[in-house]
Amino acid sequence: MMFPFIKEAVANLFSRPSTENFPAQPVTAKPGYRGRINYDPEKCINCGMCIKVCSPAAITREFEDVEGGQKITYHFDLTSCTFCGTCQDFCEEKAVTLSDDYLMFAENKEDLIVSGTRIKEKVKGKLTCADGCIYCGLCARNCPENAITVDRASKSWSVDHDKCIQCGKCISKCPKKVLSFAEPAPEGVICGSDCVFCGLCAKKCPVGAITVDRATKSWSIDREKCVQCGLCIKSCPKKTLSMGPIE
Amino acid sequence: MIKKAIANSMQKSPWLYHVNTGSCNGCDIELVACLTPRYDVERFGFKLAGSPRHADIVVVSGPITSQSKERLLRTLEQVPEPYCIVTLGSCPQSGNVFKGSYSVEAPIDKFCHVDVAIAGCTVKPEAVIAGLYKATEILKKKREAMNK
Repeated sequence: MMFPFIKEAVANLFSRPSTENFPAQPVTAKPGYRGRINYDPEKCINCGMCIKVCSPAAITREFEDVEGGQKITYHFDLTSCTFCGTCQDFCEEKAVTLSDDYLMFAENKEDLIVSGTRIKEKVKGKLTCADGCIYCGLCARNCPENAITVDRASKSWSVDHDKCIQCGKCISKCPKKVLSFAEPAPEGVICGSDCVFCGLCAKKCPVGAITVDRATKSWSIDREKCVQCGLCIKSCPKKTLSMGPIE
Repeated sequence: MIKKAIANSMQKSPWLYHVNTGSCNGCDIELVACLTPRYDVERFGFKLAGSPRHADIVVVSGPITSQSKERLLRTLEQVPEPYCIVTLGSCPQSGNVFKGSYSVEAPIDKFCHVDVAIAGCTVKPEAVIAGLYKATEILKKKREAMNK
């Protein structure tokens, strides 16, 4: 045969081109492709795990105090991202996901920053551990800020309230469900057992909130009237009045 | 009329010059993949130029190492106006995982303007095609502004 390539040449005339007709025909990325980051601020519990594990430090967050809570903004800088997907793997709440959107280009760098904001309501109470704790240490291990210390040997549980960001991760991890953001008990004037019912506190009270009956040996206080000035506590001869949690 | 024909052909065929400033080769491979038959950017007239003096679009990849910074600037000085700078991937824009290193000079904004930033690590060839196409539009505007 003189021209061994003729068959190939003719066949190529009738075969489809191998070129992808890209802009005209959109291409979907293969499954598992890690592209543009999607951030769902509603799911985010602000544990900060994504920031910790991000190797190029592409994730930043901002805090701003607003009425009724705290405004938390997360920025994902796609011009700094390695698209390793570690933030997605570590996000407990699936708030950070890497989509299959690969068309990431912009004239301004700012357009390549994915941001999300939410307002976190102020949690009134502080983190407390109730009876029933088995000191397993799961809360301490899952705390993103290392605010909880658990010692199995001495059976002690403590939390650093300054470090705690109240993300609630420990509460969801607790196998005994004994952790909670308990509201602190309201404080007020309380009368101890040494009361002699002299009535000095009632006389000193500027708003007339205290009633003392010597005959029936009763001491009572109108909590709504009380302004918590502390005059009664100062005037008590038996030093039995004090500020404390109301039962 | 000849001028118009030249302007039209310049618009239809922007030539690329690729500068690697310490890239890991990932973005470079993806750019080269765009020139292969599968993606074939020559459909749009893009062509790799051998010299920066022939270039219309300069494609920069890599985190701009201290050694390559001077070379990059020297290259950019040779490119005739008007030209576009396109960055590939995260590295030139921020330094990526190398940021903070003593030998990395990123971001590129410190030295020159950037017309189109293509994100990804590495960039997908489709994103490169779309980004380069955007660069041609910017180039057209720049050329019109220059010829006024």
